[in-house]
Amino acid sequence: MEKFKQNPLVKKLGFNRIVLCGVLILMYIFFSILVPAVTGSQFAGMSHIMGALNYAYFLGFLSLGVTFVIATGGIDFSIGPVMFCCGLVSGYCLMTYNMPLPVCLLISVLIGALFGLWNGYLVAYWSVPPFIVSMASMNMAKGIASVFTKTQSVSWPRSTDANGWFRNLIKMGGIPTGLICFLVAAVICAIILNNTRFGRYIICLGSNKEAVRLSGVDTRKWQMFAYLMCGLLVGIATIFFVGTYTTVQPGYGDQYNNEAIAGCVMGGTSMAGGLASIGGTVIGVFIISLLQEGILALKLTKDVQLIITGLIVIVAVYADVMARRRKN
Amino acid sequence: MGEVILQMKDIDKSFPGVHALDHVGFEVRRGEVHALMGENGAGKSTLMKVLTGIYKKDSGSIIYKGKEVEFHNTREAQDNGVVIVHQELNMVGDLSVAQNIFIGREPRKGLRIDDKKMIEDSKALFDRLRIDIDPTEKMSELTVGKQQMCEIAKAISHNAELIIFDEPSAALTEKEIEDLFSIIRDLKAQDLGIIYISHRMDEIKVITDRVTVMRDGGYVGTLITADCTKEDIINMMVGRVIYEKPKEKSLVPDDAPVVLKVEHLNAGKMVQDVSFELRKGEILGFSGLMGAGRTETARAIFGADPKQSGDIYVNGEKVEINSPEDAVKHGIGYLSEDRRRFGIVVGKSIVENSTMATLEEYMNGIFINKGKEKEAAERYINELGTKTPSSDQLVVNLSGGNQQKVVIAKWLVRNSDILIFDEPTRGIDVGAKNEIYKLMNRLAAEGKSIIMISSEMTEILRMSDRIVIMCEGRKTGEVKIEEATQELIMDKATRQMS
Repeated sequence: MEKFKQNPLVKKLGFNRIVLCGVLILMYIFFSILVPAVTGSQFAGMSHIMGALNYAYFLGFLSLGVTFVIATGGIDFSIGPVMFCCGLVSGYCLMTYNMPLPVCLLISVLIGALFGLWNGYLVAYWSVPPFIVSMASMNMAKGIASVFTKTQSVSWPRSTDANGWFRNLIKMGGIPTGLICFLVAAVICAIILNNTRFGRYIICLGSNKEAVRLSGVDTRKWQMFAYLMCGLLVGIATIFFVGTYTTVQPGYGDQYNNEAIAGCVMGGTSMAGGLASIGGTVIGVFIISLLQEGILALKLTKDVQLIITGLIVIVAVYADVMARRRKN
Repeated sequence: MGEVILQMKDIDKSFPGVHALDHVGFEVRRGEVHALMGENGAGKSTLMKVLTGIYKKDSGSIIYKGKEVEFHNTREAQDNGVVIVHQELNMVGDLSVAQNIFIGREPRKGLRIDDKKMIEDSKALFDRLRIDIDPTEKMSELTVGKQQMCEIAKAISHNAELIIFDEPSAALTEKEIEDLFSIIRDLKAQDLGIIYISHRMDEIKVITDRVTVMRDGGYVGTLITADCTKEDIINMMVGRVIYEKPKEKSLVPDDAPVVLKVEHLNAGKMVQDVSFELRKGEILGFSGLMGAGRTETARAIFGADPKQSGDIYVNGEKVEINSPEDAVKHGIGYLSEDRRRFGIVVGKSIVENSTMATLEEYMNGIFINKGKEKEAAERYINELGTKTPSSDQLVVNLSGGNQQKVVIAKWLVRNSDILIFDEPTRGIDVGAKNEIYKLMNRLAAEGKSIIMISSEMTEILRMSDRIVIMCEGRKTGEVKIEEATQELIMDKATRQMS
């Protein structure tokens, strides 16, 4: 085992990530055997893979976003409801006020960014704990969306409708364009995290903020930018959500917080800050997505998935805590 | 003085790399106030921690009330009547005085807390101490002096027979100190044993019966306070053999320009009206005891903590420094006394730490030029002789001395001209210490200016060209190295300013 860990190729890919890939494959095999046995219908095959992927796109963007925040040692529990707020407000603009689609998509991204900026400002400059800030933002996002849409749900255009072309972002013909978009975004995020000042500073300040500040770095600014980055990605996640699921209902979105955070921490980003892996987040997101697809295929309710993701978060964070303790 | 209540014999305690207590002996009698003195790091606190069970002794014996004991924690010590009154108060501000005194052992009436009894008991305690405090008052409403009285009352309520005062007067006013002394005299009359730790020589003369002096973890001697002079005690405190020869004369030419001038700096209680000049190529030592305000002064200059007033001039020009960012821009670098908390990001590599203050110069557009960065880090690994297998090594895996070199590298990469070294050799072994000294001398010779804060007298005398001495937030003296002696410095460092 140790020898395997020391292998240069393994080191480069990351031992954790290899294990996660193994988990992903095992899960797929598990469902492929269990689903036919229980329900009599097939699991293996393209249709369920596409189902899982559809779920992975929007969740992936959420997870990428929250990775930046968790890297600073913070947390954002508002991402799911903010995504719903974006979808509702911009969708309402599109359907009720007949605003042009590109403008509406831009509004969506803008709302996400504004929430990120707000959260980041409060956390970085006012030193309000991120937990509290994001809890408050979560409720504000729900409230704003409900007020704006007068508590109506919003349905985005279907692919055959006039404004339906944006769905090509998710799927064009038989090609899962969404997967391409997500992977490209992940690569860009990885480059930002590993090769820019922003990435370097937020990871370092997640590890020891005071040392970074005493090196003459404006830590508050960079910390705020981490939340802004998260908000931007939440805004983009919205496009992939409405492109896949069409209807957005006010008052929901909480469950995606847990799933996005689960994907992120499972991938090796530390809740304590200072350690982040975009590659890990991507695999984590696929695992969560496959899990939800598998549970639906087993004809179990969504509630079962809530229980399992809850447990995943706890196990992943516990593993991180243990790893830290061993190091010290 | 009555019978011996506490006798510590041959106490030995080592930490990795440090022999903290070297076969120390110490005794206290009933009805006596026994001072425990020594420089920072002499081992006073360690000895008291061994007594109250915070540390486990390696060898030796503690005889308390005629029986050999070994307490495993402060609670057990308390239950046996050995109580420590800390320098920092351990009180819950939002609770009442009575609640604080009986915290964790509230009198009960059925399931409920018996407030009435608690208040009555508190009153009885205060009566015994002849102090006037309302037990129902909120702790945070009291003055620091009164809070200290409550701490003492709490100690006595444990049926204390041996009370340790750890620098009790540090935060008190003159009047409050008088009150404290009258309480101590009362306790003494009640036949309790009292250990009094303080740096204030004048107080020692007033309140204590005997003085035990420690130095470098060893026992030096015990004197009867009335029969000795302040000078006798100081001589015992500093009278060590000096291994390293002190610097004989300043290496700074008389006409060296002033690079940093600080005028009337005020920042909180710990920095009051501090003024000094630092010249090019100079190592300016900052001496003083723990809590003298040296680190606070450095942090205020560096913009790490807010300051209330004062002017700072860099190379003759007045500058505004409101954050570390500003200070770094003006070429000031700060090496904290607490490296792990304030100096380095331990979970990151040497490279990442080395360029922390200079990252903008290692950019290729928006991307970090990792090759150039590594080159810079490796240059300083070689130059400073940092021992590491590679520049990608995480700093957490380096020894203390090598971690310090990484912090130094960070400021050299930045090309800072003014470096503030706060306890540069704390927690570093002797060999690495010498390397750091050599390095500082070399930097000074190359024209960098260094402020060196140090609690080690030998370090101050060996390295400094000039020495500023602080005591309780004020500058109490400035001496040229040619005139400096340990006795002179210690005298100024213990001079009470009030």
